[in-house]
Amino acid sequence: MISFILMVNKQGQTRLSSYYEWMDMQERVALESEIIRKCLSRSELQCSFLEYRGFKVIYRRYASLFFIVGTKADFDVRKLSKLTGVKKGGDKSVENYENELGLLEFIHTLVETMDRWAGSICELDIMYQLEQVHFLVDEMVMNGYIVETNKSNVLRPIDLIDRESKKNEGMFR
Amino acid sequence: MSGMHLSREFFELIKAIGESKSKQEEDRIIAREVVALKKKLESGGAGGGGGPSLGMIPGSPIPGSSGAAHGNILNTNKKKAREFLVRVLYVEMLGHDGSFGYIKAVELAASQSIIHKRTGYLVCSCCLSPEHEFRFMLINQMQRDLNSSNLLESCGALLAVTSLITPDLVSTVSTQVIGLLEHTEQTVRKKAIIAMHRLHQLSPDAVTKQEVTEKVRRMLCDRDPAVMGATLNVIEAMARVDAQPFKDLVPSLVSILKQICERRLPSEYDYHRIPAPWMQMKIVRILSVVGKNDSNSSEGMYEIVGECLRKAEEAGINASNAIVYECIRCITNIYPNPVLLDAAGASISRFLSSRSQNLRYLGVTGLASIVERHPKYAADHQLAVIECLEDEDETLLRKTLDLLYRMTNPVNVEFITDRLLHFLRRSTDPYLKSDLTLKICTIGERYAPNNAWYVRTITELFNIAGDLVDPAVATNLMSLIAEGTGNEDDDEEADMVLRKQAVELYVNLLNNPSNRMPRVLVETLAWVLGEYGYLSSVMPLSDIIDGMCKLLQSGNTARLGGGAPSTRRLVLTAIMKMVAQYGSCPATAAKVVDDYTKSSDPDAQKRCLEFQTILTQAPHLLGEVFPVDASLEDIDVSLDLSFLDGVVSDAIANGARPYQKPEDDDDDDINAVASQAASAFKMTPYEKPSERTYGQGAMQGMGSANMGPAGSGNVPLPPGSSSSTVNPQAAASPTQQPSNPGEPQLVLRNVANVWGKQAPPPAQAPVPSVPTTSSFASATTSSTPTGYGGFGVPAAAAPAVPIKTAEQ
Repeated sequence: MISFILMVNKQGQTRLSSYYEWMDMQERVALESEIIRKCLSRSELQCSFLEYRGFKVIYRRYASLFFIVGTKADFDVRKLSKLTGVKKGGDKSVENYENELGLLEFIHTLVETMDRWAGSICELDIMYQLEQVHFLVDEMVMNGYIVETNKSNVLRPIDLIDRESKKNEGMFR
Repeated sequence: MSGMHLSREFFELIKAIGESKSKQEEDRIIAREVVALKKKLESGGAGGGGGPSLGMIPGSPIPGSSGAAHGNILNTNKKKAREFLVRVLYVEMLGHDGSFGYIKAVELAASQSIIHKRTGYLVCSCCLSPEHEFRFMLINQMQRDLNSSNLLESCGALLAVTSLITPDLVSTVSTQVIGLLEHTEQTVRKKAIIAMHRLHQLSPDAVTKQEVTEKVRRMLCDRDPAVMGATLNVIEAMARVDAQPFKDLVPSLVSILKQICERRLPSEYDYHRIPAPWMQMKIVRILSVVGKNDSNSSEGMYEIVGECLRKAEEAGINASNAIVYECIRCITNIYPNPVLLDAAGASISRFLSSRSQNLRYLGVTGLASIVERHPKYAADHQLAVIECLEDEDETLLRKTLDLLYRMTNPVNVEFITDRLLHFLRRSTDPYLKSDLTLKICTIGERYAPNNAWYVRTITELFNIAGDLVDPAVATNLMSLIAEGTGNEDDDEEADMVLRKQAVELYVNLLNNPSNRMPRVLVETLAWVLGEYGYLSSVMPLSDIIDGMCKLLQSGNTARLGGGAPSTRRLVLTAIMKMVAQYGSCPATAAKVVDDYTKSSDPDAQKRCLEFQTILTQAPHLLGEVFPVDASLEDIDVSLDLSFLDGVVSDAIANGARPYQKPEDDDDDDINAVASQAASAFKMTPYEKPSERTYGQGAMQGMGSANMGPAGSGNVPLPPGSSSSTVNPQAAASPTQQPSNPGEPQLVLRNVANVWGKQAPPPAQAPVPSVPTTSSFASATTSSTPTGYGGFGVPAAAAPAVPIKTAEQ
């Protein structure tokens, strides 16, 4: 499952963070800064995957912004291994079955979708319309699973929300 | 896009954050923002309050008062409220506490306007911890939204359910969520199935596995592919726990995958000309879970997986390569099929020889999964694997180590263990270190070419990462040295050789200790040398003893594995064993033992004292107390201490009194005590008090002679007599028990005076002491109420009273 999706710039400033597993504030801050540090320390020629504290992390850089997806073994699998007392590590480690390359491409399709929505997405767009970007990501990922990658299906409800909000704001202005 | 709704303040905030050059600066900006937001929350649009603080940011002008000056702007203007919430979200996203704003988020979720509602839910989902009580407040709203006719509201509610519901709240929404599986819109249905699965994860009792399985089978065949796609996630998740209920879905899944590969889905589902790649990957993953160890199910999927792999190989972009990788994993997991395995092997080769680091990574991982059951595929790629080992890319390295681990066999175990140890030495990541340690232990045990190598390797492992090793490994090692492999042919000679080698190894360590020796290493060293130190030809036993004493006394706890009491005791015992074997106690050892008799650790003290006693008084016992090479022998214990019979009969013959077991009357004692206790404690309730006790008695008591210094001490006792008479005989009143119990009633007569408004002023109290006794009685009744409350007042009167009455 996807545990978190981050958009962090190269100065380490978080532009968007979506967590699919609760983590308290200190953990998040530590995680975000550590991961971006690791991503920055890797060269372009190295692979886009890394391991951090039991997370399999997939990252991709677009201009000044890093898109980072952190994955862990599925919640149900983890629970099962705890119940059956499977030995940690070694042979039967609680395996994270996520497809790293698939998630790398998922990041790309997310960026393409945002691009279509914003008409050429940039970091500032994300900053000024944080909640709408959240809505967009929520259309694609739910409970840590990829539920939609069809751009039209994703953007249709987002457009609806946009239109409704314009309608209302017109009345209140 | 729609940035017009933002206020100037917000623009300034974003700009400032964007331009901030350091974390500290960002923290400062956020801290100011928090202050401004809090002000907004309290007063409402107090732009003046927010102004000066924001104005301190260099370069930005002081923003004008952006809110109305009257009322709380956040309540009346939803736009402002939404912006407020986004700013709260920023505050939290950047790592600061924004809890002052949570309540606004809950409020906004109740808004009629969809974007405000969604914003409210969003902030709640992001910020409310699972224990936060505000989650309860949202239930009602979620229920309403789930039932809404507006699909956007239902979607918002479904998302909120997934993030905010806790196990105890599942039943409040489960029916509605399940109901939404029938909604007309695909966007609602696909969220509903995920939400339902989430509810099941939270509370498998409220939303049962059977329910979910049943729904999922229906949703898989939903008319809209999007819903089908979402359902695949749930199937995969549940199949990993128990694949049985989904085995019969294989034909449907195969059929769906076939249709996708044949491009029967609308082109909107394409990604760079690959049809629905993520759905393909998911289906292949589900097939691999269901087909595992099941030849029947696997049969049904061979064709489609081969087809899928072939098509994906043609496309040659990342998305298709991801599908190839998924197929490789599937092929290696399900019941083996030689044709497919060969195809998978070919794909792996292509990955490994690729120039793209990502593809090499997949190659290594794919190889790792194939090689365990089909080792022949590894042979062709030895060179590529070695290259990966020498790569600087840490991620690739880790995967290669994992591959090595899976490739281990008795032939290459030494080389591979050597590589793993090498990386363990270099690594600083605790997860990697414990992973490697466990791997080394496993393959060491499984494939060790000979015992000597095993002992060497494990000792080295202890040295590098002893703290991460399971203590059982140390115990195994020690048993191995003590008893060899425990084969039928108990080759004592081979065992001795092993022991000698182990001893030399540890003697070497003793002479050249590293700066930091893990505890398990020190303890193992102590044991080995203690048991078999005499076998060493490198170092005489006396020197070994000296060495151990030095280790113990040096004060360098890092060398002593942390210097824990248990470690020290083991070293002590080892020294004692060696002394026993040596035959005499060198000075160093004697000193150490002596020092430890004063140790703060009682166990160590005991051992040393006992040792000293044996040494001085019964040295011949040493051999028995510290038997050589008998660590795994059973110890005979005679429970009746029959070896002391001789001593006992001697003593009795000399006139000692035979032992008499004390009578077993402990239980009686307890009963006696209990019954005594019963009588000592009054078990029946006290009698109810009579009204006079409180009413009159107090009054009388106050005014009576009891109060004076000559008072008998039983002050507020009921007089029994009528209230109007004062009993001058102080003694009389105490003895008169409540002869008139009557119904206990509240004396309300003078309550009003005590508690009500007509309470006579305290000044009146001294007055009764002045007039004659005849008026005293009446005065008493009026004064006592105050007296009851103001205890000290009539007391002032009291001394006067006895005098008066006495004079009478």
